[in-house]
Amino acid sequence: MTGNTRHNLLRYMMPAALVAGLFIGAAGSRAQTPPALEVRVSLSRDTIGMDERALLEVIVRGATQEIPEPKLPTLPMFEVYPQGRSTNVSYSNGQVDAFVTHRFMLVPTKPGVFPIENISVVQGNKRYRGNAVALTVVGQSSSASQRIEDQARDSDGNSRDVFAEALIDNDNPYVNQQVTLTLKLYVAVQTYGSPSLVEPTTTGFWTELLGTRGPYQQRVNNRTYRIIERRYALFPTKTGELSIGRATFTATVATRRQTRRRDPFDIFGMLGGGQEVQVKSRPLKINVRKLPTAGRPSDFSGTIGRFTFKATPTKREVEVNQPISVNFAITGVGNIKSVAEPAIPALPDFRVYRASSNESISRLNDQIGGTKTFEEVFIPNRPGQLTIPSLSFNYFDPETERYQTVHTRAINLNVIKTEGYVVSPDLPYSGPDNVISSDARDIRYIKSDPGVLGHRAEIIFASPVYWAVNATPVLALMAAVLVRRRREKLKGDIGYARARQASKAARKRLARARKLASGGKAGQFFVEISQVLLTFIGDKLNLSPHGLTSDRIAELLADRGAAPEQIEATLGFLQRCDFARYAPSAVKQDDVDKALADAENLMVRLEEIRF
Amino acid sequence: MTRTMVIAAGLVTVLAGGAMGASPAEQFLQGNAYFEARQFDSALAAYDQVVAQGVQSAPLYFNMGNAHFRTGDLGHAILYYLKAHRLDPADADIISNLDFARRFTSVQMEGVALNPVSSLFESIVEPYQLTTLAWMSSGCFFLLFAFLIARFGLGFRSSIVRTGIYNSLLLLLAVATLTLVKYDHDYLTRSAVIIAESAVVHTGPSDLSDKELDAAPGLIVEILSESGDFFNVLFENKRRGWIKKDLVAGV
Repeated sequence: MTGNTRHNLLRYMMPAALVAGLFIGAAGSRAQTPPALEVRVSLSRDTIGMDERALLEVIVRGATQEIPEPKLPTLPMFEVYPQGRSTNVSYSNGQVDAFVTHRFMLVPTKPGVFPIENISVVQGNKRYRGNAVALTVVGQSSSASQRIEDQARDSDGNSRDVFAEALIDNDNPYVNQQVTLTLKLYVAVQTYGSPSLVEPTTTGFWTELLGTRGPYQQRVNNRTYRIIERRYALFPTKTGELSIGRATFTATVATRRQTRRRDPFDIFGMLGGGQEVQVKSRPLKINVRKLPTAGRPSDFSGTIGRFTFKATPTKREVEVNQPISVNFAITGVGNIKSVAEPAIPALPDFRVYRASSNESISRLNDQIGGTKTFEEVFIPNRPGQLTIPSLSFNYFDPETERYQTVHTRAINLNVIKTEGYVVSPDLPYSGPDNVISSDARDIRYIKSDPGVLGHRAEIIFASPVYWAVNATPVLALMAAVLVRRRREKLKGDIGYARARQASKAARKRLARARKLASGGKAGQFFVEISQVLLTFIGDKLNLSPHGLTSDRIAELLADRGAAPEQIEATLGFLQRCDFARYAPSAVKQDDVDKALADAENLMVRLEEIRF
Repeated sequence: MTRTMVIAAGLVTVLAGGAMGASPAEQFLQGNAYFEARQFDSALAAYDQVVAQGVQSAPLYFNMGNAHFRTGDLGHAILYYLKAHRLDPADADIISNLDFARRFTSVQMEGVALNPVSSLFESIVEPYQLTTLAWMSSGCFFLLFAFLIARFGLGFRSSIVRTGIYNSLLLLLAVATLTLVKYDHDYLTRSAVIIAESAVVHTGPSDLSDKELDAAPGLIVEILSESGDFFNVLFENKRRGWIKKDLVAGV
């Protein structure tokens, strides 16, 4: 290796090594500092009776997909039953945001107030502790559990095998505030198949299904019931008293006899078929409050919940008269579908069009929420540093019972002047030469050519010309078919052909006779002219002219209805021709002319006969 | 700038002075001059005078649509774009402005249930005028009869002639079907546009009937029948109702 080569290697490898070192260092530092985790602990209820259960939820959140399992402390005053876990992972701008929710059923073993603390997760060398909660266990049933106990007994005081319960978390909400409805089916006996549910009527509410939970177990009146839950988010759309109807569960359950004495051959308990049982929940009443008038913003659109408001432009630099999209995202908890489009004030520097809106709904912790995004298109009218001002969005927060206003940040845009731009106080449409694509942002310019300014034309089907033109090919076809048939008949039927062509042939021979007459050949003229007549009659009758005697001609013409004087004239003409043939010197020019005229006249009259 | 405006205003005044006895083409250009000067109401008056002379053209209706759009009269803008579209279905400017204007209707007819077969046919005939399609049908008719004459008039029995008869017959059936679809769409179906700013659609032909929906200017409807002062209309999403006749204008 030469010194020069070594120098070049060092020259290229050094920066590469430095960059690699930086990456390795960065990766190492990242590995040393894992993302922070957050642990939140909550209880479904603060106070329960001895025969009730509480649900403990441990939510671990972090910017990593590998979230460790939480460690529960020893809880000797409870029996703890794991109820499963759910994971929710989202990606935003390359960042991972993961929630893992672990659920545990707590069954108390003695009354008292019990703090639950030191629930933690360990990642790397670090322990993340959750918040402390406390659960009070009373020696007797709470009012809610008393009601369930009452539901679990029939009018005779006997324990029910199956019953249904409907619960709401708030019977005095504000209009458009979420009320969570929980429908529970309690079953203490064996069931076949899945129970079916006819949902309750919820007139006056916008309803969204939250989910299904269970089955899990609970003891009521010293019986263990399996419980299936279905939860709904209801948003009242009007004030006053609203009703939630009865929910109807239908389940096929084993009868008491089947439950107690199972058929020894029915190994799985499936042969009995069971008995269909229908149970209904009680109807519920909700008194919906009006929103307070105090502090209500003038442009309040009726949205309730807790929201944030953010504006994100697709770019910060744009040419004049070219569109720029801005996404206005309203995110939070509440009836996201009812979130109204933010009001955009009149902006003299922009034309504004609404392009689209979409919404994504989430159901985190039984709360309906999500994000509603409005895409607005701004078209700057002039070049320069222009600003899309801060927009505001109002909502009513039912927890604080106050109206809140959130704002976007103002968006500064650098609007570039384009070549050919003409300063105009307002240029609401594109110029005549500016071709705009299908995603046009304005109307196309007026037309300078008026086109054919014609009177209102009748519909084409009312035009005689149209039908006349279309009749032409039909007539042409008919004519062509007729001509073809005639030709074929002429070709195949000699008699027909001779009869059809008799007149034409006769006229040709007459013309020849006329020439003989003018040439002073009287004898030949009369031979020819008699042959014209005989050939004409022969052609018409499809007979040889040589066999036609006067008697035969008279007979044939008479058979075809010729008048006697016509027959007589024909025979007389032929006699005169014979006489002139044998005495040509006695023939004068007048006789020739008269013979020609008579021949033509005779042929015209013979044409009238139906041969 | 001021000088330009003065010249434009002067031009408009001179043109207006010569309006009496002007030909339709001159009045059309006069309307355009008003439009250029951003006097949209005057432009519309000039265009209306052209229409009053009993003449029409696609550019005339297109410009009228533009002038109505600029005055904020969305219903009439869409009405005139539709009229222009009927006269010149292939014009890209008309299609673009019609689509653009329809975006501004405050009530969008969502959930439009389209018949895929009729939609296919209508999309095929969309760029053509009825007259064009009718003459195309005639062309196919001529072609069929040319082959028929060759076969039955001239006696040509070759396979080319036989194939020509079948193919031209199929072509004729196809084009004639499309012509009938166009005829049905443009002439047998009575289309109208809601032109009133506030238009209540009732469940029956009376003001006392319940409200079916609130319509908005620019919505296109099909007139199914009429009763008294009301039209029974069908919206694009197949909702029906009764609306007062003076709230809509026929295309």
